[in-house]
Amino acid sequence: MAIQSTETASRAYDPVSISPLSFWAGTWEEREKAFRTLRDERPVSWHPPLEGALMPPENDGVWAVTRHEHIAEVSKSPEIYCSARGVMVEEIPEDILEAASSFLAMDAPRHFQLRRLVSSAFTPKQVARIHDQIRSQATTIVDDLLATREGDFVSQVSKRLPMWTIYEMMGLPEDQRELAAHHADGMVSWADEDVAAGREPGEVLNEALVTLLQIGLEHAERRRAEPKDDLWTSLVQAEVDGRRLTDDEIAAFFVLLSVAGNDTTRNTISVTARALQDFPDQKALLLEDFGGRIAPAVEEFVRYVTPVQTFRRTATRDTVLGGQEIREGDWVLMMYASGNRDERVFKDPHLLDILRPANNHLAFGGGGPHYCMGNFLAKMQLTEILDQLLHRAPTLRVGEPVYLAGNFVRAVKSMPYTL
Amino acid sequence: MGFRDADEVRKYIGGIFEAAFADAEIGPKLRDTAMVLQFAFTEPDTVVEVDTTAGTVGDGTGGAPPQAVMRMAADVGNAYWQGKVNLPLAMAKSRIKVEGNVASLLKLAPLGKKLFPLYVDSLRGDGRDDLVL
Repeated sequence: MAIQSTETASRAYDPVSISPLSFWAGTWEEREKAFRTLRDERPVSWHPPLEGALMPPENDGVWAVTRHEHIAEVSKSPEIYCSARGVMVEEIPEDILEAASSFLAMDAPRHFQLRRLVSSAFTPKQVARIHDQIRSQATTIVDDLLATREGDFVSQVSKRLPMWTIYEMMGLPEDQRELAAHHADGMVSWADEDVAAGREPGEVLNEALVTLLQIGLEHAERRRAEPKDDLWTSLVQAEVDGRRLTDDEIAAFFVLLSVAGNDTTRNTISVTARALQDFPDQKALLLEDFGGRIAPAVEEFVRYVTPVQTFRRTATRDTVLGGQEIREGDWVLMMYASGNRDERVFKDPHLLDILRPANNHLAFGGGGPHYCMGNFLAKMQLTEILDQLLHRAPTLRVGEPVYLAGNFVRAVKSMPYTL
Repeated sequence: MGFRDADEVRKYIGGIFEAAFADAEIGPKLRDTAMVLQFAFTEPDTVVEVDTTAGTVGDGTGGAPPQAVMRMAADVGNAYWQGKVNLPLAMAKSRIKVEGNVASLLKLAPLGKKLFPLYVDSLRGDGRDDLVL
């Protein structure tokens, strides 16, 4: 009995709770206040399972990791903190996880094999071609913007470039791109009441997933019949250790790329546009030497925005993290939004500082094998769209962003603009 | 190899739920889902309807209307209950069609996983190893 009571005591839920849906529907500033308390006082803390799960949680709690150093430790120790048992912070049916996550929710060696295969499609020649296309598309988007006086910045600007980039790389027919991007949104926004519009979250998620899988499968069939010089042709033809990818693997990868390629960059563009308005001195500093300063500035934009707020790992064995005893099977949630505001690593973390020295942010992950493989694409897109916006649309003003309620992406649903 | 006739489909797939209701751990959880779920099979054509509130397994006649209907060939059903079919992928390929509340099916997923061994055991127990994948 004594052992049991000790265990219960050591697993008391933290008084600062990150679990209610209302926590994730609140503002960034409200959440950051809670995170700061946790970072300072209880950097690895125990919480009830997050609300909004699509099925009854099996665990009685989750660990929230809020300091930069511990997030990096978890990220860099995949043998202790694995991905194959799920990466989302709430309970999601295994079927959905498998069909939606591809190598995001895999461990070595399968993770490495698939990831290597995809990287092999990004030859220097392909990357140079993609860069030219992004530059030209960014120009077109700002041409179109300049033909308007006002509107919604997300649909007019932020949404268009990532959607175009990711689906152009895949060679997806243009008439399917809007539909695919719409359902990619459904994959991350099912917890938002506006998006669900009275439907059950599981229905929204399943419809989005099944539609994306269908598009991915059809596109694989199309490229088998008619190979082209694009990523999807490379995937259907590629072999990993003598084995070709199955249709199911290709379809799951389509879902992963659709979600990872659309939302993250879109939201970074939106929040960055707002941040440059809120920090006019930083905008001026960037414009003084755009070519020389855009690279560090982009690192700062992704730190400041932190488009992916959370990912989860599962402990493969008993271990200790930040002084807390973690048991095998425990869920460990990495709070990137908190890690990127950690005062121990970033001076004045709430300020945008485009020349921030040694910007070791966690926006692409905390290092290790799951570090964002599309980070170079994100940086290219941010560079090109900001080049166009700052130089050609100097009178652009954006209003208050309307954020999505949810614990995964920091998503802007809409943001008014005037020119 | 596959099921010989409709009676066999009902016996084995219906039998999963009968065993589940009788199971001390799974039974109460299954009843908590409080739903009527219908499986409409082809090749051979037959219906298995499960009322988790009442704890009954029927043929779809005379019961409460189902909240969800899953349509599939009987061999897909056989694979599904062995954990060899991913539901969203099967839906994307139209191997399983779902009418009604798909969210409720997803909630059944963790219970479904616990039913797979019961199903395989019942096949093996009857010497139907040919149906085990």
